[in-house]
Amino acid sequence: MANIAAKRIKREFKEVMNSEEVAGGYIKLALVNDSWTELQGTIVGPPDTPYEGGTFQLEIKVPETYPFNPPKIRFVTKIWHPNVSSVTGAICLDILKDQWAAALTLRTVLLSIQALLSAAEAGDPQDAVVAKQYRESQQLFLLTARHWTNVYAGGPSAIWEFDQKVQRLLDMGIDEHEARVALSHYDWELERATEQLFS
Amino acid sequence: MADYFQEMGWRELEDGEQPNHLLHMARFLIDFGHYDDYLTGEWPRLPPAASKEAVKNLQEIVIQTENKECPICLKKFQVNEKAKEMPCHHLFHEKCIITWLNQTNSCPFCRYELPTDDEEYEAFKKQKLRAEQRKEDIETLHNSMFS
Ligand SMILES: [Zn+2]
Ligand SMILES: [Zn+2]
Repeated sequence: MANIAAKRIKREFKEVMNSEEVAGGYIKLALVNDSWTELQGTIVGPPDTPYEGGTFQLEIKVPETYPFNPPKIRFVTKIWHPNVSSVTGAICLDILKDQWAAALTLRTVLLSIQALLSAAEAGDPQDAVVAKQYRESQQLFLLTARHWTNVYAGGPSAIWEFDQKVQRLLDMGIDEHEARVALSHYDWELERATEQLFS
Repeated sequence: MADYFQEMGWRELEDGEQPNHLLHMARFLIDFGHYDDYLTGEWPRLPPAASKEAVKNLQEIVIQTENKECPICLKKFQVNEKAKEMPCHHLFHEKCIITWLNQTNSCPFCRYELPTDDEEYEAFKKQKLRAEQRKEDIETLHNSMFS
């Protein structure tokens, strides 16, 4: 790894560790290997959002050309959000692409991703299905996002009705995550989800 | 007074130079109001490198106080160390800021923009400015009529 990248990541690591946000438990950063090229980020779901109470893991890959190019970040924890792929965890956030600036740091990037959970950018979606639900059935979107937070991120509120529907598909021998994805995609209509799964 | 062609950054083709059709098409669409995204939106990729001239003209200063750091490598400057100053007064190591400006034209700290050598991008910036002014003019007119 290029010298400047490794040196900068080390300095940033110290900065994050001494930050208020780490002290307050809002974000975390951990090393994955000795080479400083891969890190694990953690953010907690912001209050007054369906992600509240959840803990979300992020994979951070630092390119050789850092900080002249942005880090590559994706959600490892599955999440239901218009700007995050429900399949790959890829994030659509301008500062991770063409709005990157070399003075941004892992700390500011993690905080920006956390802010994205509070205020989605529906005009610039990463996941078209989630974005459509976000625009057209806000209530269903909030419940689905809360359900995913509960199941995958340790969030506190279980949605009983959704759990029941997932269980119905499990009983038919469908994989749990596949079942949840199908139901979420079809606005929790059991019949349409089943149809799609068996088509 | 600068004429319209000058203002738009237009010039005659050099001997043997081919017209940039994409650029002309973009201008045409903008002028006839068919290219709203291009006009109101953002540049769709990383803006181009700063112009050679602008990079060459960056001020060099000598660091006087402790505790300032280069926002690119995050290393603290030493007193008496040389640094480059952007017009927005942000300070960087020469190597750090030049690597960045060879890639894109703005201050990595505050996004202050330096000029570029990219004709298409400069045309886009001018159009955007004109669109904003036009919008302001319309608003002023509207307010004077209805207040
Ligand atoms: Zn530097
Ligand atoms: Zn600046």
